[in-house]
This record gives sequence, C-alpha cells and structure tokens, in this order.
Amino acid sequence: MERFAGLLQQLPRAQGEMLRALHLAQEELGWISRDAIRLIARHLRVSEAQVYGPATFYAEFRHSPPPRTLVTWCSGPSCRVVGGDRVRRIFEAEFGCRLGENTADDELGLWLGQCNGTCEQAPMVWVNGRVVGPLSMVDSVKLARRLKAGEDVIEWPRRPIKIAPATFVDAEATYGSEHEHEADGAD
Amino acid sequence: MSSVYDELREAAELAAAARRSPERPLVRVDLSTSSIAAEADRLWEALEPLAAQHDVELVRVGTLGLSWLEPVVEVERPDLSASASGGGAVVYGPVRTEDAAEFLAAALGDNPAEDASRWLIGARTPTVGVPPLADHPFWGPQERRLMRLMGIIDPESLDEAIAEGAYGALDRAVTMDPMAICDLVLAAGVGGRGGGGFPAGQKWKFLLGAPGPTKYLVCNADEGDPGAFVNRVLMESDPHLVIEGMAIAGRATGSDYGFIYIRDEYPLSIERMQLALDQARARGLLGRDIFGSGFDFDLEITRGAGSYVCGEETGLIASVEGIRGMPKIRPPFPAQRGVFDQPSNVNNTETYANVPLIVQHGANWYREHGTESDPGTKMFSISGALERPGILEVPFGMGMDELLLGCGGGPPDGHRPKGIQPGGPLGGLLPASDLGLKLERPPFTERGVLLGSGGLILFDERASAVDLTKYFSEFCEDESCGRCTTCHGGSQRLVEVLERIMHGDGREEDLTRIGAIDRTLQNANCLHGQFTPYAVRGLVNYFRDELDTHIAEKRDPARVAPGLTRYLIVDPSDPRLEEAAALCPTACIARAPVEADDESDEGEDGAERSEALGDWRIDQPHCIHCDVCREIAPEAIRVEDRYLATLSVV
Ligand SMILES: Cc1cc2nc3c(=O)[nH]c(=O)nc-3n(C[C@H](O)[C@H](O)[C@H](O)COP(=O)(O)O)c2cc1C
Ligand code: FES
Repeated sequence: MERFAGLLQQLPRAQGEMLRALHLAQEELGWISRDAIRLIARHLRVSEAQVYGPATFYAEFRHSPPPRTLVTWCSGPSCRVVGGDRVRRIFEAEFGCRLGENTADDELGLWLGQCNGTCEQAPMVWVNGRVVGPLSMVDSVKLARRLKAGEDVIEWPRRPIKIAPATFVDAEATYGSEHEHEADGAD
Repeated sequence: MSSVYDELREAAELAAAARRSPERPLVRVDLSTSSIAAEADRLWEALEPLAAQHDVELVRVGTLGLSWLEPVVEVERPDLSASASGGGAVVYGPVRTEDAAEFLAAALGDNPAEDASRWLIGARTPTVGVPPLADHPFWGPQERRLMRLMGIIDPESLDEAIAEGAYGALDRAVTMDPMAICDLVLAAGVGGRGGGGFPAGQKWKFLLGAPGPTKYLVCNADEGDPGAFVNRVLMESDPHLVIEGMAIAGRATGSDYGFIYIRDEYPLSIERMQLALDQARARGLLGRDIFGSGFDFDLEITRGAGSYVCGEETGLIASVEGIRGMPKIRPPFPAQRGVFDQPSNVNNTETYANVPLIVQHGANWYREHGTESDPGTKMFSISGALERPGILEVPFGMGMDELLLGCGGGPPDGHRPKGIQPGGPLGGLLPASDLGLKLERPPFTERGVLLGSGGLILFDERASAVDLTKYFSEFCEDESCGRCTTCHGGSQRLVEVLERIMHGDGREEDLTRIGAIDRTLQNANCLHGQFTPYAVRGLVNYFRDELDTHIAEKRDPARVAPGLTRYLIVDPSDPRLEEAAALCPTACIARAPVEADDESDEGEDGAERSEALGDWRIDQPHCIHCDVCREIAPEAIRVEDRYLATLSVV
C-alpha cells in the first residue's frame, strides 16, 4: 500500500489520470480496495464517489482479492459456435463456483473474458493470462482438475505495462488548470 | 523531402542494414498475440541459442495474418533467391517449440522445400524450388497495402520502419496546407473504419473549422467487437503507421495533441504502441517543431478497462477524461465539444493508418481498388467455423464467399455454412444464402445488418442461431452503460424472452413481444441501444424456421439448448462409459443400484428405457449438457429432443 501511495504521487493531479491511477492500484495491490479508492480520491482531488464510479463501471477492475489461479473464460462468439458455453459449464461444475466468483479458499477463480482475437484457438480460456486452447470438452475437465490439484499453474507472464504520462504538452494545457500542481506535496 | 527527414532516413537505413549482412539468412518469428497464444514466445526462446549456432539473424516481427498456422516463422535466404531484386523468403508454420532444432536445420539445409516440407507454406518472395505464397488460397486474393510490412519488419524497431519509408508522408504533410490534406483525404474517399463509414476528410474539416487553440485527436483502438482484431494486428505489427497517420491528421486539423485509446485486453498492443511513441519522440517525429516545420504534435495512450460502450465515440471521450464511459446524446458532436470540452475528432485506428498511404500515393491510387461507395482496401478478421481463420486485407467489393469460403476455406470437416455474423454484437445475423454479398456497406445495410469494423464470423449447422442471438443480447445487456432505461431494460426483457424460448417455454405471442422490444429500443439514447435489436431482427428475418421450431415444437435443431435437449445412454454396454463417468463434471453418470430396479421411479421419463438397456444412467437433473460423455463414447450417448421424448410419457 505504501509503495502504491508513493507511485500515485508521481501522477499529475488531474481527473484525466483516473484510469491510470486505478490500473496502478490494481497492478500494485491486485484489486481496488476501499483504501485505494480513498487515496486516489485525495490525490486527484475528487470525491470518493467520483473514483468509485469508474472503479465499478469498468469490468476489468476487481473489488475483491484475485485468486491464485485465475481462469478467464472467453465469452466470445467464435468460441461459442464451437462449444464455448459448455466449457463454462464444465469449469463452473468442477470449481464449484459460478462465473465471476472465486472458490471459497480463493485458490481458483472463474471470470468472464472478452474475445481478444485469438479466435483460431477457440474454444479457449486464459489461465493466469495465458491462452489455453483449443479445448475439447474432455480437455476442459482435465485442465480444471489439474488446476484444482494445484498442477499446471501458469505464472502470470505479464510484464507490468508502463504508460508514460503526457510529455511535452504540459499537463495544464492538456487538462485545464484547475487544482493542479499548487497542491503538490500537500499529502 | 526535408533535409531533416533525409538525414533520419539515411541513418535508419544504415542501422537497419547493419542488422543483416547480404549473405546471412534471416529468421523472422511472428511474435503477436495470436502466435504467442500458440506459444511462439517459447519457440523464440528455443530458437535463440540455435540461431547463434547456425549464424543466422533472429528477428521479431508482427503477423502475416496466417493465424491458424501460428507459430509462423519466415526464413529468408538470399542464396535461394530466384529474382535479381532479392527474394528467398519462405514462410513456414506451425513450428512447435519441440521441433525448433529439426526445423531450423531443415529450413537452412540444401533442400528446404523437401526437408522442411511438413512446415512449408510458401515463398513470400521468389525462391528457387518453392511454390509462391501467392498460389495459396488465403494469400492470393489479398491486396496488402496496410499490411505491406506486417510480419516483415520488426514492430519494435523504428529504424526498420523508417528504412521502409515510414514518416515520409508526414514529412510531406507538414509542408502542405491543412485544408489541402483534408481535401486529399476527402477525394480519396476514406470512410471511417469503425463501422459508420463517415468520410474522414469531412470530419477533419469540421475540426479544422472549429475554434482553437486547443483541439484533440482521439484514436479509437477500443475494438470491442468480439471476433474483430483488425486494430490489434495493426498496432502490434506496424505501430508507426498509426502514429504517422495521427500526426498527419493533427497537421490537417490544427490539432497538436492526441489520445490513443487501447482496450485493456490488448496488452501487447499497449506495450508496442508505447514503445513506438517513445521512439518516435526521441527522434523528433513527435514533439515540438517536427522536421523543422513549426508543427507540434504529441500523443499519449489511454488504457481502457473493459467496457464495450467506450468504443462509442462520446463514451470513448468520457473514458479518456477519466469518468465512467457513458455515451452522451449528440449533438454536440465531438468536433464541437469533445475531450475536456475542447473540439475533438475521433477516428478508428485503421482509418488513421490509411492516411500516410494516401499522402504518399495520392487519392487516385487509393481508389484503384474498392467500390464507388467504399473505395480502397479493408482488413478483415475472419473466424468461427473456418478451416483457415486469420486476418487479411482485400479490396472492398470482394464477394463474402470469396473471402470466407475461398480464403477462409469454409467450415472444417465437411460441415455446411449456416450463417454469418458480421460487424460485432450490434451487426446482426445473415443466412448462408447471403454469402454472395459484396463486401461494401450498402448491400449489408440493405439486408438490415452492418458490415462493421471488419470482424466476420462464419457458423455452421452445429451452432444455434437462437443461442447466438441470446448471447449477443446478453452482451448488449451486460455492456449497456445503464444511463437510459430503454436500453438496459429493453435488452433485459429481450434476454428474458430468449431464455424462456430456449427453455421450452416459448409462446406464440413472443414474436409480437420481440417486435415491441425492438421498436422500443430504437428510442434508446445512443447507438448501442438502438442497434441492440439487430441480432434478434436477423433471427426473426433470416432464421425464422429455427425460431418457430423452438417455440412451436419446443425443439432445438442444433441441439445446443440445455432446456430443450437431454443426453441419453443408448448403448450401456459401451466400455468407454466407465471413463465418461469418471470425467463427468457433475458425476451424473452412474450405475443404478441393483435394488433400486424394482422401484424404478415411476413416471420419471426414460427410466423404463435405461432399465431396459442396462445399468448405466444419467441423472437428468444434474446433467449440465457439457458433452464430455459423448466425446468419449460417441456411440453410447445420444442427444435427444427433451420434449418429444416426454410428451408421450407425461
Ligand atoms: C456501442 C458502440 C461501440 C463502438 N465501438 C467501436 C470500436 O470499438 N471501435 C471503433 O473504431 N468504433 C466503434 N464505434 C464507432 C464509433 O462510435 C465511431 O463511429 C468511430 O470510432 C468513428 O471513427 P471512424 O469514423 O474512423 O470509423 C462504436 C459505436 C457504438 C455505438
Ligand atoms: S471468440 Fe474466443 S477468442 Fe475470439
């Protein structure tokens, strides 16, 4: 949390930094906690509700800690026309949780994902961000069971994505001049 | 050419040439989202030490578009060139990590056409003894303009891009009068690639005419349509083309700052675009006083967070501003009031990417391909029930059958095409009999669907049109921003009706109800709600038989609706049932206890039958219709219509 608070200070104090701040929170903390919302609100000089709004509007932001192994099920049409919905039912039955939930011990989670255009692998899921497909239904059961047994866990391959803040056009020109900079260091 | 650009280009050509000697083979590995899904990153790791051994240059490239053959590797051998102007580039795939050593030895050996035949796809450039890629049905009909360098240059190297001419058009544009650029783009007739097809030049003129000084450009790389991945391929394979297009648009509209809004599902696009921005800025291709012309322009990336309506331009603008991405009622249009209330222009990624080519080659060149209503070429991503899913670029006006059945190879394993889903969740559905439509906007609009942003999904008789419609309606419900009740309430009711129909509770009056929901949704605030009924309209118009069968006969011809089907054991002696039972996720296949036989739960459908057939049973209430058992024991399990079977019993 401290590290997050520190990194947050490096973002300009502007409403336009909201998504960057929320992404930062999720990357650093794994999810958007109430405390993170409070910190972001203070830093961007907006109300907590103005953070809570976007934090809950966008599907990618999580409001509970992530599972150790996350299975993201592709809901897309190319997957669906070749049995994707059956894959969902298999994982739900094997994990004993519904789409959008974690297992009781937070070891496994099954969440909805949107097509990212790797449709030639259909039907597929992502295990910790890595595509696994094409899956026959038998493959799906076996994969679910191996994951339940703690095998086959794929480490998150993600390199953290760094997006540079605006560079040459200064923040003032970009975002309008309200409540910027003058309050730097106040927190 | 300005002297600044001249110098840049010379330096870049030197740097790019230094990477390869004329004799040394070049091994290009497709590293894109699709290939990484097929483990190309692991293949790359395996190839690295091998490349050193064989003394070849290993190069990271974007994608050629042959997604079904990923991981794709191209080996360019000057010694095998069959043409004076270079050649010898042969494309192979899929190359599995475990075969890396064997593959490389064969491809670099004396007779690659034979020794590496199991991976051989074709020769991209003239090569001795290798059939050209142009003979491949996927490749032949293409007209690769935007994709000219994709899969060939390293998307993470600015030198390679510049050596191939990148930013040359910007160099010209900075000396042009802004209105002249707008006129040029208008004369070329570039229609917006995000689906609307609005003339880009016209939109730019609106922004040029808007009062300054602050004006913003937005690049719509939200690409929310499932099945569409055109923008992703553009950004991953040739990011500088997008940046150059935006910079030219900046010059044409009097704007000096832009936002590239990329959906969060595309981490590699975000990474490569960010790198490309940094590189361009470091060379003065972005920033102040570009090419000494006095023109300032810079860009930043906004990373989306998973919301479909943010693809709608006013929603996109809201999202860039850091608030909830809810669309607003237009007018005011973005050119009047856009990002942070300043005049703005939103275009799709592919729209911007076309611009450098037009500045370079002229409007007439651009119009050499395409049709009157849609000049030029278009990238399409094709998927679904296809032999060869992938991404390709063809002239507007090509027949859809040529694209999906010719290039894409149609459905695999002898299945028959049943329909097409163009243009994403809001695009609607077409029957297979419309496969002959020309790929341009008017014939699609006439049929009540949208050609959209380039995603085309073919489905065959195994898919249910009702199920697909329910999926798209659910999608629209899920992604509704919630501001207007018409939209979120309307799509909710639509989903309820379709769910009921798929459960065997369809009623005759449901058609009237669907019609009423359709008419109501047309009054939604934004296009999301207004286009939500396109899918169900397609169902009613083109798949009426199937819908009627669901309602009147309570039967799903494709047998995918769990509510209308059931799994039955027809051959209890099949030994594979043992394995099926072991893998059944709900353990609903079991041997009935012997003593239970005489009680044989009276009235329970199928009880008599399973008893007569033997002791394996499917516990119907727990069956989730996952098809695992049938995959294992296809002869022992049959999917039957639920209601025909019970009607006689009950
Ligand atoms: C619900 C909805 C979603 C949209 N999603 C996208 C999208 O993902 N990408 C896109 O370029 N345009 C999308 N559009 C179209 C945009 O509103 C807008 O027309 C387009 O970005 C303009 O650029 P163009 O003229 O270059 O096509 C969407 C529209 C609607 C109504
Ligand atoms: S539909 Fe699943 S990856 Fe495209």
